[in-house]
This record gives sequence, structure tokens and C-alpha cells, in this order.
Amino acid sequence: MRHITVFLTCLLCQFAHAEVEATSVDFHSQTLTIALTQEPPQLNSAKATDQVSGLVLGHLMQGLVRYDRRGNVIPGVAERWEMTETTATFWLRKDAKWSDGKPVTAHDFVFAWQRVADPKTASQYAFILSPIKNAAEINEGKLPVTELGVLALDDRTLQVTLARPTAYFVKLTVFNTFYPIRQDFFESRGDQYAADAKDLLYNGPFKMTEWTHSASLKMIKNEHYWDRENISLNAINVDYITADTRARLNLYTDGKIAFTRLDGETYKDALSQRFRIRRFTTGSTFYLEYNHRPGKPTANLNLRKAIQYIFDPDEMVNRVLATPGNLRGESLFPVWLNGVNDKFRREYPAPQAGYNVKEAKRYLELAVNEIGPIPPLVLLVSDSPTATKQGEYMQGVLLNKLGIELKIDVQTFKQRLAKMTSGEFDIVGAGWGPDFDDILTFGDLLASWNMNNRGRYNNPEYDRLVRLTMNSTDPKTRMDAMGKAQQILFDDAVVLPQYEQGVIYLLHPKIKGVARRVIGPDPDFTYAKIVP
Amino acid sequence: MSLFEPTSADFEPLPRQEKTEQITRPSLSYWQDAWVRLKKNTRAIISLGIIILLALFTLIGPLLWSVNPALQNLNQVSQAPSWAKSAVIIAPYQDWDGIRLEGYTSPNQIASAVPAPTGFAMADTPTTQRVRLIWDQTPGADGYNVYRNNRAPRDFNDLGLPLGSTYGNELSYEDRLSLEPRAYYYSLVPTDGYDEYEVYSQLILTPVLAITPDEAVERGLVTDPSEVNIGDDITIEFHPFGTDYLGRDMLARLMEGARVSLFIGIVAPFLFVLVGIIYGGFAGYFGGQLDGLLMRFAEFVVALPFLLFMILFKIAFGIGPGESGIMPMLLALILLSWPSTARLVRGQVLQIREEGYIEAARLLGAKDHYLILRHIIPNTMGVILVTLTFAVPSAIFTEAFLSFIGMGVAPPTPSWGSMCNEGVKTMLSHPHELIFPAVFISITVLAFNLLGDGLTEALDSKMRSRD
Repeated sequence: MRHITVFLTCLLCQFAHAEVEATSVDFHSQTLTIALTQEPPQLNSAKATDQVSGLVLGHLMQGLVRYDRRGNVIPGVAERWEMTETTATFWLRKDAKWSDGKPVTAHDFVFAWQRVADPKTASQYAFILSPIKNAAEINEGKLPVTELGVLALDDRTLQVTLARPTAYFVKLTVFNTFYPIRQDFFESRGDQYAADAKDLLYNGPFKMTEWTHSASLKMIKNEHYWDRENISLNAINVDYITADTRARLNLYTDGKIAFTRLDGETYKDALSQRFRIRRFTTGSTFYLEYNHRPGKPTANLNLRKAIQYIFDPDEMVNRVLATPGNLRGESLFPVWLNGVNDKFRREYPAPQAGYNVKEAKRYLELAVNEIGPIPPLVLLVSDSPTATKQGEYMQGVLLNKLGIELKIDVQTFKQRLAKMTSGEFDIVGAGWGPDFDDILTFGDLLASWNMNNRGRYNNPEYDRLVRLTMNSTDPKTRMDAMGKAQQILFDDAVVLPQYEQGVIYLLHPKIKGVARRVIGPDPDFTYAKIVP
Repeated sequence: MSLFEPTSADFEPLPRQEKTEQITRPSLSYWQDAWVRLKKNTRAIISLGIIILLALFTLIGPLLWSVNPALQNLNQVSQAPSWAKSAVIIAPYQDWDGIRLEGYTSPNQIASAVPAPTGFAMADTPTTQRVRLIWDQTPGADGYNVYRNNRAPRDFNDLGLPLGSTYGNELSYEDRLSLEPRAYYYSLVPTDGYDEYEVYSQLILTPVLAITPDEAVERGLVTDPSEVNIGDDITIEFHPFGTDYLGRDMLARLMEGARVSLFIGIVAPFLFVLVGIIYGGFAGYFGGQLDGLLMRFAEFVVALPFLLFMILFKIAFGIGPGESGIMPMLLALILLSWPSTARLVRGQVLQIREEGYIEAARLLGAKDHYLILRHIIPNTMGVILVTLTFAVPSAIFTEAFLSFIGMGVAPPTPSWGSMCNEGVKTMLSHPHELIFPAVFISITVLAFNLLGDGLTEALDSKMRSRD
């Protein structure tokens, strides 16, 4: 009998043990387990460009200002700030500290921003510093980094000299490129900076204690963080790194992770398992970009107009994407952008072509008169299942309704980018997520000088409007200019807006206070707490 | 007892008889005999029947079922196989402003709790084109979230799909998200403009299947929009095998896919078996050093990786993005698959050329070409036929596999393999999109394999004496 008892007890311990392990949220220790879609590629804030690094960095570091859950700018390391036409001054809080206990000073920001501007750093986001005086010249190697228009007046006062009046400069500093870096620590690590958990210094609400590359990482509460009283979570464990949505859904079902995004297929399983599904609009716009290079059939306005009139964004959103949360694409500028007093899109409604076969055929006839029979067009798409499905949908629409043949060129993300840059396409499926909270993050996308203008659209009037918006601080002037730009985008059928992306996701019901946001780390667990 | 007394008559020769022995079986040629034995093999005959049916399906099918396999119908996406359905003609979609409160101001402070919304109802008859929902203002709320579920929610965490949100002044919502004629459970949750209050109201409704006159013309149901009136019933097109993820008819796609699959499946083996016969025949007949050399080369070809060559040919052919990879696939199959046939034929030829009757024929002065054509090839025919029938399913499978990984046909042309590839993504929600092409591949491959088995038995001359 005794053997059996022992055996049973062991079995019970195992079960008990398994249960502790399997909880993705734990109320008593206030820990949370999540999965990342990939290993953070770059945790050096001066060089990070991707979303996963942004998400991790957003929990580990803090810039001058930050967003609250509802998208308002609130103080971060800076306690208050002041803007004039030519300068921005930030006063840093006294209790902001690094994870080794030393205070965060204005010099740390000066050093970090100089690193970004330094051509030796080769930061892809160096352009975001362009409102700062001399930033562009330094990045081109024409001036030394010390000439950057950022000055630490004392340890706690940071003064920025602007290259041009920049209305949105304060909001810009939320972005991870503007996070501070401490010089002595950076130099002591050399090339190893941000390569491992111990090679990074943290000033945010959490600090990273373990980082097993490509497998897991662990963030615990930073005891030196100035607002530590308001942080409930003691630890965020990233136990899994996988991009496979189905694998992540299985982990969620097994109670191993507390958060996962759903796609067009996995949501049906989540629904049948009666999980609470949530919705979030990411603020990114997805559109088809035409190749405007001379000689390309898509350089013809009437052909682009024909496609504009035959495309039905309602069908795209409701029947092709068929997941909740996506908004129909009406403009390059998404609905959440702020205008003068209200949302931009309410003050300047986007002109709509509307689905109209007759009009489309009329434009197609004009196009054929101008450039002859339309040759088969190449549509470049990425290799995600939704992208190929959308491509096939467009192929069907153009073939069955206009008789235009479309060839689908499916490429991996990197390959697609290379082909976009070299112009090997007629139409390309593209998307743009905002970098900062201003209309310009979308507006300058089609300016002739922007490297992301892959179709090489070149319209001096459009460029003029973008410059006007860049150099003005008057909201009315700026929004009027962008309103006109929106009209040009429509009249010239420069791009074909398809949808504004929405995502659906699962979040453990015991977690409260998770912020989803359009700009900045998303999802943000900083102020999350686990309820019993 | 009497003694045998021979008479002269006993010494007369017997009359000459024409038939000295009776042959009990009709004389049969090799092929007739094989056919007799094949007929007795039920499995093989059923398989042969299936293959003939498949050929008819591919060649005659599109004439009888003249639906455009590339025609999309986004209103009939991923439909399971069903009988013809009836739909109501409705007016074209018009934007709906909904209900907006004039002079609305957000509550000054966030209420800690609000009551469940009242007056949650549909604004008009729900159709698959749109469902319009309205409700009364909930005091204290500054926004609403609308949910939709396919079955009755159990509790607050089981409301289903979060369709959308409205601001506090908007008391209506229009749902157009892939609506089907089935019961939906809508739920309405008030929010403070950001977070939800844990109360909800529910509404159950079933949209009617609807189609606009313009859509009816596009679908070829009527020739002119004036032929139908709003409110009429109309029978919409019938999809015996259902539709795929873009609403294309599965039956038409299976037929067109069969063309690609069977083209590769028949043409490629036929050509590479031919190459194999010639190559193996040469090596076997002439033997010696030439044989050694040729066979070493064949082994070298066996070692070449198929997929790599497939990709190389695709590039060498200048096959651009979005163009069909069928031709390089065919070439790669022919260039890399012949050695197995060559080896088999060589073995047979080596054996046959040492037979006595070959020696006899040679002594009688037969030339090489006579020997090859009259004696050697007919005697290897059995082996060749069997190889051919086994090569067909493997070629079909290769095509299916390559199309599955996206190296075969270019959309919108379907092949069974690419259809499986698309179907596997929706395996759990719409299994028919995977099952049909998969069943077609399986049945075809199985039928060719069983026929091959039957032919092996029927053509094996050693089996001849058994019955």
C-alpha cells in the first residue's frame, strides 16, 4: 500500500507543479508570460527600426515624454517642456534614474542623439532627427556631431535648436530613436552595447535580467524607476519566440502565454473555444503603389484612374480580408490623424471614386488610346497568405471586369523591398505605419525626395505642399496644405488606398490596463496589473 | 479360346485424319492473353474505369459545366457544397448615415457603472448585404462596442467577434463583414469611450440571402437589370462542389486543375520512359564498355537534385514572376527521371539478347535492327508498360507537390496541388476546399497504381501457364 501512496503523492506533486508552470498570469507574484514573434533584432535604441525591438525597448527605456493609454502626451523623463519657433527646452525630473542608480541627465540625451546623427552609426532612422539643427548635415558627414543643435544647459535642462519650426517636435521624442544613452556605459561596452542583458543600461519601468538569444528573455521591475509605485507587474517573461500564429494560439489555449494576435484563420478557432476576442486599429494604411517611372504602363493616368474606379474597398475589407477591425481605404491618411480641431479626415473628407464599372471602362478606353493595348501588369506582393490572397483578388477584379491581365510576383519581405527600390514592378502592395504623431509621417511619403516613394512619383506641386507643412507651425496652414495634397493623391490616382489595418487579438481576462497604441510600444504592459 | 488371326485388312493404312489432337483453348496472342488476365482482376478494371472517367472529366467536363473557373464571387466565399439557393433582389448598397445625436457632449466624468443598453434592434430587414443596428442612448456611456457571435454567448467573455466601436453620439452600427444567411447573436456593450462596462444587450437575427440587380447581371443570372424587380426571388448559381476562398466554383477549378495535373502526369512519363527505353536499349544491346560508360552517366543523373534543377530551369527559361512553371517542370522531370527506366530496360535487354531464339535468329542472318524491333522491344514491352503506369502517379504527385509549395502553376490557373495548398489554410473552417482536390489526387494516384499492379500480373509471361 505504501508504494502506491508514495506514487500517488508524487503524481499529485507533478500535477501541482504543472499547474504553476502553466499559468501565463500570476496574481500573487504579478508576473506575466508572453511570446514575441521574433528575437528583438536590435536593442540599441539609436539603431532599432522594427516593431519587436520597439516593444521590448518601450518597456526598458523611457524618453523625454510618453503617451498615456488614451494617446495624450504626458511627462516622461522630462517634467515639463517649452516650445518656441526655434527651440524646444525640456526640464528633466530629479528622480529619473538609470538601473544602476545614477541619475538620467540631459547629457545622456545629447550623447544618444549625437550617436543617431553620426554617419558612423548608420542609423536608418537618422532622418527622424531632421527637425533638429544641423542633423541632416551631420548625417551627410558635412559637419562634426558636436554641431548637432542639442545642448545640455545643465544636468537637468536640455535645449534643442530647431532647423525649422516643427509643431510636432515634442511628440517626436516619444519614438525610441530619442531614448537616452549614457556615454560612460556605452563606451565601456564598445561593440557589445545592447548585445546582451548585461550590456544595456535601463531607465524605463523594467530592466532585462535574462536574455537567451532566440529562445526567451525576462524583464523585471526596475527598482530605480521614478514612477515605480504605479507599476504593478513584477516581471514580464518572454518564454517563447515564434511567428507562427497557430502555435501561439495553442500556447494561449494551454495557458502558457497571456497575449496573442489572431489572423484570418486562427480567429475561427479562438471563437469556437469561446475566448474573448479584442480588436485594435493599428493606424497603418495599406495601399497599392503604382510605378510612375517613365515607360511603365502605370505611368499613364487614365489606366490608374480605371483601376481606381473598378476597385471596391468595401468588398476588400468585408469579403476578402474578412476580419473585423479593418477600415476601408479611402485615403493615404488614416482616420486617427489629428487635424486642426478635430480628426483630419473629418475636417477634410477624402474624395471617393466609388465602384463604377462604366467610368472605369471609359478611363480604360482613354488609356488604350494613349498607350495602346495594356500589357500584362506585374503586381509585386509579399509572401504572407493574406497578401497573396489580396493579390489574387485584384487579379480577378482586373481580369474579369476590365480585361487587364495581372501577374502576381510573390517575394519574401527583403526581396520585395529590393525589387521595390529598383523599380521592378508595375504595382506593388505596400503598407505604411506611422513613426510619429503628425500627418507628415504619411504626407511626406510621396514627396519626390523620399526614399520610400518607391514608385518615384514626382509632382512639384505635391512637394511644395509637403514643404509648406514641414516649415509651418500654424495648424490651419498645415492641414489646408495636406488637404490639398489628399486631393492631388486622388486626382492623380497616385496610390490606391485599400484598407486601414485592424487586428484582433486575445488577452488573458485577468490582465487589466494593457495599452494598445498606434505610435510607441505596442502592446504596452507597463501599467498592466493582474487581478485575482 | 481363339487366337488372333491377322487378316490383310489389318494391314491397311488408317484413313488420314485431319485433326490429330484437339486444342482446348483458342489461340491467343500475347496481348489478348494479357487482356484476358487483366479482365479477371477486378481492382485493375475498376481503376481503368476511373482513369477513363477522369479523362472524360478533364476533356468533356468543361464543355458540360461551362463555368469560368477564374470568376470570383465575393458574396459566395467558401460555400460548402449545396443545392441551388434562392436569393432576394435588393437595391444597390447605399451609404447609411445612421443615427447621430445632435449637440451631444461627453459625460464630464467617467461613470463607475452604467445600465445595459436598451432598444437594441435592427433598423430594417437584415440582408447579407448589410445589417443595420440601432439602440437608445445609455446614460453615462460615451461609446459602444458591437460584437457578433455565431452561437448564443455564455457570458460577457463570450460575445464573439468585436465588429466595431462607435462614439457616444452614434447610436447605430452597420455590419457588412462577410454576412451569411444564418443566425447571428449581436451584443452591444457600452464603453466610457475607451474601456468597457461589463453589461451587454443582445439581439438575434438572421440575414436573408440578397443580391443586387447589377450583381445578378455580373453573375450571368439575367441579361439586363430591368428584368428583375426589387423584392423578387431569384435562383442563384449552383455550386455542386462548393466555392473556394474567393468564391470561385470548385467543380470548374477541379476540372481545369485536372488538365494541368493530368498533362504533367501523362506527358512527362511518356517522354521520359521513351528516353529511358532508347538509352537503356542501347546500353543493354551493345554492352561492354559502352554499357559501363552509359550506366555510370545514368547514375550521375540519378544523383542530381530535382528541386534545384527545377529552379535553375525556371531561371534559364526566363520564366518571370507570376508565370506558369509547368514547362520547366516538364523538362526537369524528363531530364532527371529517365535513368530508372533506362536501368530496367537495360537489364531486360541484357537478359533477352542471351536467349536461344536471339542466337538462332542471328545465325539465320537477322540484322541488329530486325532483332531489336522484332524480338527485343516486344519482349521488354511488359516491363515498359508497368514502369509507365507507375511513373504517372509519381509525376502527378510531383506536380501536386511543386504547385503546393508554389513552384508550379501561377494564379489564377489552378492545379490540384495548388488547390490543396490554398485549402490547407482553411482546413478547419472550410474542409471542402482541401478535401476535394486531395481526394482527386489520391484517387488518381491510387487508380494508376492499381492498374500498374494489374498490368504487372497480366503482362508477366511466367503467369501464363497458370490457367
